[in-house]
Amino acid sequence: MTNYDDSPVRGGAAQGPQAEQAANDSDPNISGDLAHDDAATALTAEGATGRGEGVGQAKETEGLSQGQIVRARFLRHRGALFGLITLSSITLMSVLTMGIGPIPGFWKYQDHTRSGDMVNGGEPSLRLPFAGGGFAIGDHPFGQDSIGSDYFALVMSGVQTSLFVMLVLGLTAMIIGVTIGSISGYYRGKIDMVLMRFTDLIITLPVLILGAVLGRLLDVIPIKLDATAAQREALKANMPLLLAVVLGMILWTGLARLTRSEFLSLREREFVDSARVAGASDWRIITKHMLPNAMGVIIVNVTLLMSVAVTLEAALSFLNFGIKPPNVSLGLLIADNQGAFATRPWLFWWPGLFIILIALSVNFIGDGLRDAFDPRTRKIPSDRAMKKAARELAAANPAAAIQEAK
Amino acid sequence: MLKFLARRLGLALGILFVLSILMYLLLDVALDPLDDLRTNPSPNRPVMIANRVAMLELDQPVWVRYLHWLGRFVQGNFGMAWRSGQPVNAILSTAIPTSIQLVFASTVIAILLGVTIGVVSALRQYTAFDYAITFVSFLMYSLPIFWVAVLLKQFLAIGLNDYINEPTINWMIVGGVALVSGLFWVGAIGGEPRKKLMVFVCAFAATFGVLAYALLSGWVQHPSIGIIGVSLMALATAFVVSVLFAGLNNRRALGAALTAAVVGIGAWYGCQWLFFYVEMSMLWMLGLLVLAIAVGALIGWLWGGPDRAVSMRGAVIVSIVVSVLVFIDRVFQGWQQYSQMGTIRGRPIATIGAETPGLGGDFWITQLDRFTHLLLPTIALVLISFATYTRYQRGAMLEVMNQDYIRTARSKGLPERLVIVRHALRNALMPLASIVPVDFIAMIGGAVITETIFSWAGMGRMFVTSLGQSEVDPIMVYVMITGGLAMVANLIADFLYAVIDPRIRVDA
Amino acid sequence: MSTTTPAPKRAAAPAPKVALDSFQRLSRSTGAEVKQGDVILEVRDLTVNFWVNDSWFTAAEGLDYDLKAGEVLAIVGESGSGKTQSSMSLIGLLPKNGRTTGSAKLKGTELVGMPQSELREIRGNEISVIFQEPMTALNPVYTVGFQIVETLRTHFLMNPSDAKVRAIELMRLVEIPDPEDSFNKFPHQLSGGQRQRIMIAQALACDPKLLIADEPTTALDVTVQAEILKLMRELRTRVNAGIILITHSMGVVADMADRIIVMKDGRVVEHGTAADVFYRPQHPYTKALLAAVPHLGETRIEDGRSDALVVKDREFLALEPADDPSVVPALLLENVDITYPKQGRRPAFRAAEGINLRLNPGEVMGLVGESGSGKTTIGRAAVALLPVSAGKITVCGIDITGANNQELKPFRKTVGMVFQDPGSSLNPRLPIGESIGEPILLHEGLKGEALSKRVEDLLDSVELPRSYRNRYPHELSGGQKQRIGVARALALNPKLLVADEPTSALDVSVQARVLKLFSNLQEQYGFACLFISHDLAVVEMVSSKIAVMTHGKLVEVGATSDIVTYPQHPYTQRLLSAVPVPDPDNQRRRRELRDAIIEREHIVS
Repeated sequence: MTNYDDSPVRGGAAQGPQAEQAANDSDPNISGDLAHDDAATALTAEGATGRGEGVGQAKETEGLSQGQIVRARFLRHRGALFGLITLSSITLMSVLTMGIGPIPGFWKYQDHTRSGDMVNGGEPSLRLPFAGGGFAIGDHPFGQDSIGSDYFALVMSGVQTSLFVMLVLGLTAMIIGVTIGSISGYYRGKIDMVLMRFTDLIITLPVLILGAVLGRLLDVIPIKLDATAAQREALKANMPLLLAVVLGMILWTGLARLTRSEFLSLREREFVDSARVAGASDWRIITKHMLPNAMGVIIVNVTLLMSVAVTLEAALSFLNFGIKPPNVSLGLLIADNQGAFATRPWLFWWPGLFIILIALSVNFIGDGLRDAFDPRTRKIPSDRAMKKAARELAAANPAAAIQEAK
Repeated sequence: MLKFLARRLGLALGILFVLSILMYLLLDVALDPLDDLRTNPSPNRPVMIANRVAMLELDQPVWVRYLHWLGRFVQGNFGMAWRSGQPVNAILSTAIPTSIQLVFASTVIAILLGVTIGVVSALRQYTAFDYAITFVSFLMYSLPIFWVAVLLKQFLAIGLNDYINEPTINWMIVGGVALVSGLFWVGAIGGEPRKKLMVFVCAFAATFGVLAYALLSGWVQHPSIGIIGVSLMALATAFVVSVLFAGLNNRRALGAALTAAVVGIGAWYGCQWLFFYVEMSMLWMLGLLVLAIAVGALIGWLWGGPDRAVSMRGAVIVSIVVSVLVFIDRVFQGWQQYSQMGTIRGRPIATIGAETPGLGGDFWITQLDRFTHLLLPTIALVLISFATYTRYQRGAMLEVMNQDYIRTARSKGLPERLVIVRHALRNALMPLASIVPVDFIAMIGGAVITETIFSWAGMGRMFVTSLGQSEVDPIMVYVMITGGLAMVANLIADFLYAVIDPRIRVDA
Repeated sequence: MSTTTPAPKRAAAPAPKVALDSFQRLSRSTGAEVKQGDVILEVRDLTVNFWVNDSWFTAAEGLDYDLKAGEVLAIVGESGSGKTQSSMSLIGLLPKNGRTTGSAKLKGTELVGMPQSELREIRGNEISVIFQEPMTALNPVYTVGFQIVETLRTHFLMNPSDAKVRAIELMRLVEIPDPEDSFNKFPHQLSGGQRQRIMIAQALACDPKLLIADEPTTALDVTVQAEILKLMRELRTRVNAGIILITHSMGVVADMADRIIVMKDGRVVEHGTAADVFYRPQHPYTKALLAAVPHLGETRIEDGRSDALVVKDREFLALEPADDPSVVPALLLENVDITYPKQGRRPAFRAAEGINLRLNPGEVMGLVGESGSGKTTIGRAAVALLPVSAGKITVCGIDITGANNQELKPFRKTVGMVFQDPGSSLNPRLPIGESIGEPILLHEGLKGEALSKRVEDLLDSVELPRSYRNRYPHELSGGQKQRIGVARALALNPKLLVADEPTSALDVSVQARVLKLFSNLQEQYGFACLFISHDLAVVEMVSSKIAVMTHGKLVEVGATSDIVTYPQHPYTQRLLSAVPVPDPDNQRRRRELRDAIIEREHIVS
């Protein structure tokens, strides 16, 4: 059950209290002697369960390392491929046009706050081939906003901010969550209890609430600390980074719970025992043996977390508790322009479209990774392929009757 | 059992206590109650600052303020939103029911839809249907709710209101919707190519026909279900329920369900009379629902047979559905009257608030008013959250279908329907018991954006406003309530799971 | 684990009160009444194919056999032989990408090509299946009684009360204690053996003509397996069904089968009566298979072996007197208790109690017991994976009781452990060479060239090619992985090797090779070995001494030949008599002994 929850990225709901209990109570050592049952099952697992006694599975994985297998499976997943391509294109587009950090990009309006004269009522100058008039980019492909700034520049900067926040948030949450989860899962006992109670504490609150409060905090801190003007400027410029880190500090809970449960099960795997018998230190066991094996699940959940992060950041900015001017965010753009929807819809469509595309791509990538890491999902051929294959078989054995499988 | 409960409660209270301390400290840093005064050019400024500091006890150290707050809180005095002078207790008394109202309908619909589609998707794994549903649920999951809300406001509210006043039919859209519906049903039901073709044609024709009829006859201007609609839907429900849960061979169950439907149709007439002569209220509604369930159970019991429970279950489901239909139908009957009312002025779909202020009218008009105000926010919330349930249920169902006992059930010769409904579903739906309570509570806290956009005076909006205005008390109350509710939800989830899962309920 | 409940006095089974004929059949029946000796199943040229990766893969090919009512046909093979698929195809229970060709006639009705709707009427009704894992094969949320009743009411028009009566009769038939009460129990409330009995009851509910038993006893303890086999033999004479028994265990085959089919890689290599196949095998594979199966020696129940070390009631088994007091034992346990601490809601659990054990250098001692006996716990404690809660453990003179990691460092070089599950004993992320080399790296700090050389030497000693260093675990077979496990355990030339069920997860032929390798290595390196296993035949092959455990206590210790031939403690006797030997005549004699012991102790588990 635990593998299929993607909603409660924070680990609140779908882990289910029972899964929690089960993880707490189970100690496979106690039933260690039942292991012979498992062995017997393993012996005939392929055959007895009818899952296909070695039906061609070994062929798929000859001569490849784990990483290569995962990559091959990932690339076979159409959705993941779509996500990867889309995300890279968007990233490339935003970096090329608006530059990255101090390096400028190629777009003519580098400063997205610059206002200008309204051309054509601020309408987009982008023309697509099928709308008649051929393909043209024009001066303001996404139009202009109410004060005449180029909307394309604004949207691209917003995209960059969103991607940046997403990455930093994901990284922060991963570091904190994996650390807490691995320690908790490996050592168990008192440490585990304390850490898990702490995690519960943070889970209790809805993310939006905590995020809003923290966002407000970042606003207010310079005043409280009596910061100088220069310090305030620096703070404002680095707001996305700070916001991302701060949000990461509350979003790690799902990862922690997940890592913990992975560790709880990995702990009982025999290669961990073998490393212990060989005298490996705790640190070595955690980093060399357990983490690499848990990485698959962790990475999948980090990507899912990142997709939630994009929407979360947009939501916070929308409520005015997230990114503020002079930084620009897609959520902020939508918030600023929601009233104009009736008259100037392009101000509304473009940022929304990009949020959706980014979140969707990351989601697909996460799903593709999940499929790639999980050996259970086997490709059963579609009905049509089966029928075709069955016809071939019938052609090869004309005399025999063919029994359709269930 | 009691010890377990007591221990959990104690733990919950402890966590809440620690939470309150942490939040208070955090808010102390995050909020700046003096922000507007700092930039105020008025010569009175020092005095004003001094006044405010005194009122909010800002000169005291933070732990003192916390203790004062705690003292008031445990006595039930939740403080004051000092900018407006409104006591928080007063705000809460309207905010809580509002939030619950908002979230309740959407949670129920999201669960019903999400679970059904998730299960069907799992049964049709690896087909085009499955991929399509997966894609759509991913898409919905990625939608930012505020963006969706604005779109809804534009197209559904303004667009629909415009349409009501000046109907123009776009046949392309109608055709498109019918096409999608046809494809959906084909994917969901599956089967041989000939069967698929038949299903497609039927679904397409039915959808197209219904839509065309609705548009042409001006249904949108005065929507109603009417006795015909109620009868048809009641009978259809009776059939579907029987086929799904009892199997066509079980004549008694079918009979019970159909009887319940017929009785319900008769009840429609009775209810019209009742509603006309007696003033209604929510209490009446609940009472009537209970009566309907009892009657349904009785019908099922009377039909009897060896599997009484199955007949009863079918009849009860039918009676619930018919009751809801009767209710909706009566509410819709007031549509014309509602549209003409002064404050509505022919634009019934609302975008702001939970109800139209100063509307007047009887129980049914108020209910209709609630409906029109709930429509948009519910759609927005459902769009986002149903995707989660679909994905989750699909995963759970897939996992169950791979279990050994499903193979055993098939090897015993059980029809596929029984294998799925009796063996697979029971196991696949069990985890929902632990998810739904927690999710429901989370929604209450998380509907902040929806409340803001649609201007519902719920708890979320209270929070947002107070945060922006640096008012500590409402925020603390909000945090405590959401936290407390989360604990309660977890307790309920645990309890439910223990009751439902025999492995926990019955100890070895 | 078995819950011992006294069974009711065994009288002749009462005549069934609820005759199925009195009920209307909902599912069709394929023909008239079946008498003993009628041919019920005719299989000709049955082939099962799977569509994998865009090509057809043959799982089973060209099966030809007849099955008579009352006859037991055993289909034997190792994993990948196609034995399960060929039988699942009879009732159409293959995965979606499977196809069957050929012919299979059940009393004249062709099964291959039958539409699913008709097959459904046959499943559970004319052909029933018993699966391997009773815990997962029963739905955990419904009572066992309901699941039997369900089968009945699917195929017969019965009301619930009649069905319940019949279900309780069936439960009595399979010797479930207190059937009226057990009717309302859930699967998790019953023991493994009882669950399998329920599966059998469920399978027999509609008086099927053909019963397919897919590894019915593989997941059970030896003693429980013995009881189930006894039950199946009795039912077989009572019920007119033909039985297809699918198994990999030659002992079970020798006990039950009338006729045997041996399969390898999807093809039938041998086909004949039990006597033919066991005593006059034709095909080289059959011969090799029979040669690879360990044969347990003859057991006699005679009292009064004076030098036996047997536990007395309410005491713990005393320590064996040392032959030579000056020799430092490789492993010494004195009054050891091992308790698992309280974890969450589970109370503290005492896994082993009052253990006194001595293992001399160079000696191989087999530690046998069933699940829950505590043998694995002892093994883990001996390598300091588990702390002892009382008593003293000494390994090669080093006292490891309560030692922490620092103190244990020198000790680590003296022990090695071989684990049971080849699938999980190697880190899937590390290449083989790194897994083997880890102990060397940690203790001798060797790297690079020197480490490489050592790893290669180890690979040589376990007879694997040196190029395997760079391969990953998923590329190797179970037997190869187990050899790697042995290589890793021997990396530091330990004086004590603990082998925890090293061959239980392997196919028979692979097991024979690994055991041979193991014996050679033991002779060569001279390490002492604690060989933990539930398989007495294997233990007899490799060890010179045997220690028997049950429920956390040692009950008997002695020389292998003594224990096997003249067991003294009742539990040891029961354990030994329960092991089936791959020799039908021999097994017939053993069976009488086994049944006598089961009756004597009135055990139903």
